[in-house]
Amino acid sequence: MGYELRTKVVDPKRNTFTYLVERFGDKPASRYQEASFNIQPVENFHYRPTWDPAHAIYDADYTALKLTDPYSYTDPRQYYYTPYVANAAERYESFAQTLKYIEERRLLDRLPENWHLVVTDFVIPLRHYESGAQLISVNASRFAFGTTVEQPACFAAFDRIGNAQLLSLVGLSIAGGASETLTEAKKNWLYSAALQPLRRMIEELLVERDWAVALIALDFIDSQLYQLLYAHLDDRALYKGAGAYSLLARHFNDWYGGHKKWLRALVKAWANDPDHGDANRTVMAAIADRWYPRASEAVRTIAAGVAEQAGSTSALAAADRSAAETAGELGKIGITVTEGVPV
Amino acid sequence: MSTAKTRWVGVDLQDSDDTRMLVEAMEVDNPDVTVRHMPGIVKLQSATELVIKRETVEEKVGRPWETHEFQMNIVSYAGNISEWDDDQIVIKWEH
Amino acid sequence: MAKLSMKERYSLLTRDLDWTPTYVDPKDVYPYTRYEGIKIHDWDAWEDPFRLTIDSYCKYQAEKDKKLYAVIDGFAQGQGHLSVADARYFNSLKLFLQGVTPLEYAAHRHFAYLARHLDGPGARFAALCQSIDELRHCQTEIHTLSQFNKYYGGFHDWSRMHDRVWYLSVPKSFFDDGISAGPFEFLTAISFSFEYFLTNLLFVPFMSGASFNGDLATMTFGFSAQSDESRHMTLGLEVIKFMLEQDEGNVPIIQDWIDKWFWRGYRLLGLVAGMMDYMLPKKVMSWKEAFELYLEEQMLNGLFPDLEFYGVRPPRHVEQAIIEKEYVSHQVYWILYQFSFAAAFNTTVPTDEELDWLSASYPETFDRYYRPLWEKARRIQDGGGRFFFQGLPQLCQTCQIPMGFTEPGNPAEIAQRHSEYKGERFNFCSDGCQWIFDREPEKYVQAWLPVHQIYQGNCGGATVPEVLDWYGIEQGSDNLEYLTSPDKASWDEWHAPAALPGGGK
Repeated sequence: MGYELRTKVVDPKRNTFTYLVERFGDKPASRYQEASFNIQPVENFHYRPTWDPAHAIYDADYTALKLTDPYSYTDPRQYYYTPYVANAAERYESFAQTLKYIEERRLLDRLPENWHLVVTDFVIPLRHYESGAQLISVNASRFAFGTTVEQPACFAAFDRIGNAQLLSLVGLSIAGGASETLTEAKKNWLYSAALQPLRRMIEELLVERDWAVALIALDFIDSQLYQLLYAHLDDRALYKGAGAYSLLARHFNDWYGGHKKWLRALVKAWANDPDHGDANRTVMAAIADRWYPRASEAVRTIAAGVAEQAGSTSALAAADRSAAETAGELGKIGITVTEGVPV
Repeated sequence: MSTAKTRWVGVDLQDSDDTRMLVEAMEVDNPDVTVRHMPGIVKLQSATELVIKRETVEEKVGRPWETHEFQMNIVSYAGNISEWDDDQIVIKWEH
Repeated sequence: MAKLSMKERYSLLTRDLDWTPTYVDPKDVYPYTRYEGIKIHDWDAWEDPFRLTIDSYCKYQAEKDKKLYAVIDGFAQGQGHLSVADARYFNSLKLFLQGVTPLEYAAHRHFAYLARHLDGPGARFAALCQSIDELRHCQTEIHTLSQFNKYYGGFHDWSRMHDRVWYLSVPKSFFDDGISAGPFEFLTAISFSFEYFLTNLLFVPFMSGASFNGDLATMTFGFSAQSDESRHMTLGLEVIKFMLEQDEGNVPIIQDWIDKWFWRGYRLLGLVAGMMDYMLPKKVMSWKEAFELYLEEQMLNGLFPDLEFYGVRPPRHVEQAIIEKEYVSHQVYWILYQFSFAAAFNTTVPTDEELDWLSASYPETFDRYYRPLWEKARRIQDGGGRFFFQGLPQLCQTCQIPMGFTEPGNPAEIAQRHSEYKGERFNFCSDGCQWIFDREPEKYVQAWLPVHQIYQGNCGGATVPEVLDWYGIEQGSDNLEYLTSPDKASWDEWHAPAALPGGGK
């Protein structure tokens, strides 16, 4: 090839794809935009699902919550596949370093007995909670309408299995690489009184047909549960000489802080939608009426278990605080919570 | 009466530095393997089976190596992945 | 305490997370896995096709993407598009972005469905990994091809076109068919048939096409995606064997699906056949050669003897595909050539060298049936015209390709089949497509057939320009003849010899 670029300028003819020009104007687009806007098919589907003939293959009616323009919502983190896995890889590497440090110094063995019990009887069993949360999230990924909405749900599903696996690694570590702790953890998940309201709620959310209802109700739990176990108890752990607990808890707390961003932004989008905002708020208030008390009860029951079995004097108050704080946060973004908030 | 046709098993690997050592290890453990270099890929074939042994790879690369690192090199394969555990990967037809 | 094996450890990190619900009926948690008639007695027998935990997955995939995007960026910065063989090559990429990238996205969404609704946790986890992999493929494809959109036509509105344009209803209906089917049929259709059985016939032509034609970016994408594909292939094979082993009653159901999805996939791949024989300036191999290697040798002689053990035989209608290898690519591309006034890619008459390559690659059929067409088309072109079909074609109700296929072994006679359903007549290009329809007519009558929709006034208007506008096709730029296209004009301009020093043009 004998072309000479110095005397010829090869100007681009287009700045970006037409669908982005229509939305953002005629200028270069970001990788997030190119990969996330207008990707999902919206019309002219060929066959109705044989597994749900009342709906189309992609259908805004898989939920009662509507957006006039599904692409009015974007993930504040601007995650598409590549930055998502890069960030996740860093998190897992960091956790692996933490766990290695803990193992080398046998810090789990050296936890005060009651803290050890909190880990084995309350925290490790949550590997199953995270597994249930994953199913709820991946369901949203399939049935949400619009790529910018379903994409973060997909990543959340992956995160939840990640959380479940990290908890499992801690369980393996406690048992010196064997399965005993995990076997016990499963028994606790199935039979321990402190965990049954949580398990029951997750199971009921698994049969909730509206993917958004399940996702929102799951967050009612997450917000309170993470505050109790991974924020409040993290602080207490340091104070009480249970350093290993703090080291591990902060990973989960950090994760939730990031996860919260995309989901709360979606709630805001629903609450403030130009055409559907009012109707959405009514729907979300009804979701809160039904599920918030259940979430608070589930978390409070765990706190009561920690108080009774591990002698915590602060857990119940922390659970009440997190119930109130979460309700306050949700109220600010459009979910009116009146039930299940301690007076 | 018919002559049985040879049922090849094969694996295509990306042609890169890491792969070079992997190919050497496979040549050690698979005496009947044929190796062909094409643009960007290395094609390995056998008339019976292909085995990748962790220990052999570790000797060649001079560092600990886990079998699931193999995913980084593979482009495609023909056959059935009959085993994939800590110590080895086996590609062959089952029946 | 005994150290766990890789298999045991992996099991604890995946399927052991599952539990049997007691507060709700487990059947309500998994409502979709019984209506297809497939019986799974023991999900514990599921063999994990690969053992990758989330942390390893993210680590390896992050590394792969770093390398891939470095190449994409380097290629773009270096104006790499100028170094491909010829601007004609880009038409294969237009077809890819419009036709294949949306299928990656569809797979991402529907593997998410399986990740939720299969009632076996090992299989659910494998589906979750595939779902996120497919999102990766969709997005890396968009990013790889984005740079070509900046310089050439046909790329700019691929997603809307996939929803609306006539030839793209072929891949769209293919995947819609899978998505609207039950979970076990979807696994057979996509995991097994598309991702294992037929995968090389889709991937190799495009990716090797990139390699042979100087497109380093797409080639690198291809290699990068292929390592994910090896996981998908393994899942496909595991899934089919698992279902076959679980209950004898599953065998005939799965055999029917194998038959259906071979033929539907094969007809879809007709577009690839046309692409590889006609759109690539530097040929990788002929469709015939690819078919012989990847289907006949690797699959019919390699895989299917394995599956015989389970009572499965090679797919119905495969004999017709074997006969058609001698001419299907010519029939498909001839259709595309005639209709590229309504397509978002350009077509053209092959060069003399290419005509000779086609003669040599297809000694039984090319010179007798297809060279005369091209020579006539060229004569028309030399006389200042350009042959386009004046009218709209009849489409096959099942595969939705225009009915330009011929009777097996008789390339001079157009094949037509008909079935009646509830007083209406439906048309098919082949026995295979008719057989598919006759099994599930209530499904296939729902199809959004592009030509019918145009006639019903649902496609923007009653004239060609109005329809093309509705399609999103930039007329005079995305469509028509390659030799008079803006793509070629740009290419020639950008490859012209340097301007003389000291002024002058």
